[in-house]
Amino acid sequence: MSATTPTSSTAPSRGARGFEAVLVIIYGLFALSATARSLVQILRGFDEAPVAYSLSLVAALTYIAVTVLLVRRGRRSSAVFALVMVELAGVLAVGTLSITVPSLFPDATVWSTYGIGYGFVPLVLPVVALGYLLLSRRGSGPGDAGDSPGPPAAPAP
Amino acid sequence: MTVLSILVQVLCGLTAVLAVYYTVRDLSADLVLLGGCAAVLLIWLVQAVALGLRDLGGTAMTDPVTLYGYLFTGLVLPLGGAWAGVWERSRWGSLAIGAVALTLMVLELRVQQIWPGGFA
Repeated sequence: MSATTPTSSTAPSRGARGFEAVLVIIYGLFALSATARSLVQILRGFDEAPVAYSLSLVAALTYIAVTVLLVRRGRRSSAVFALVMVELAGVLAVGTLSITVPSLFPDATVWSTYGIGYGFVPLVLPVVALGYLLLSRRGSGPGDAGDSPGPPAAPAP
Repeated sequence: MTVLSILVQVLCGLTAVLAVYYTVRDLSADLVLLGGCAAVLLIWLVQAVALGLRDLGGTAMTDPVTLYGYLFTGLVLPLGGAWAGVWERSRWGSLAIGAVALTLMVLELRVQQIWPGGFA
């Protein structure tokens, strides 16, 4: 179970991402859907809910950035950590605002009411991601290369 | 369309259950699970083409942009799941496929809500 080859390079080698691969898929999904949603909202009528639509775009950009950084730099990147913190702050702030000042949100965003329209996944995702990132920073985190029972998909370069 | 919709749900459900089993048993995705992922992609493609043809046939659409957005997302997701399953040779690659299958089940429910007149 112990990781024998801690990744010292900036990007983990293929097949050694572990749970990070699941995060990449889910962040990629949210990057795709949040971007599509905010673009449709903004192109249809930005003036209807400028605050909500701007925040939708911010959410989309955050998801894109986390996805790209996770793929390129991996879980030990401090930029990923900082961005996930921003994401969590965004969910909490927008979620609270959408409940306390509903007039700002005539239309919903991804982060409205803590992501209720998406099964609260937008709220759970940064918490899980932060926990995982913190564990990986301590050393060999869960789902590290050593967890893999199968052979690597590609031979090491 | 009802039959297609049920097929989507059944295939996604089976793939999701299989993926959870693989994850619990600490298995990486093999050809069976990747095959499930491919089947999900195929049935989604069939559905997208069927709905697109109906759209061309003149069905009144209330929200075509969102519908096509969902249909496109449903095509990209299984590809992403397969990518994770192929390159991440651990239980986590399998879990990624499971997450994709579950998402598609929710997406399918939304597609039914958007499609005018429902799937009757």
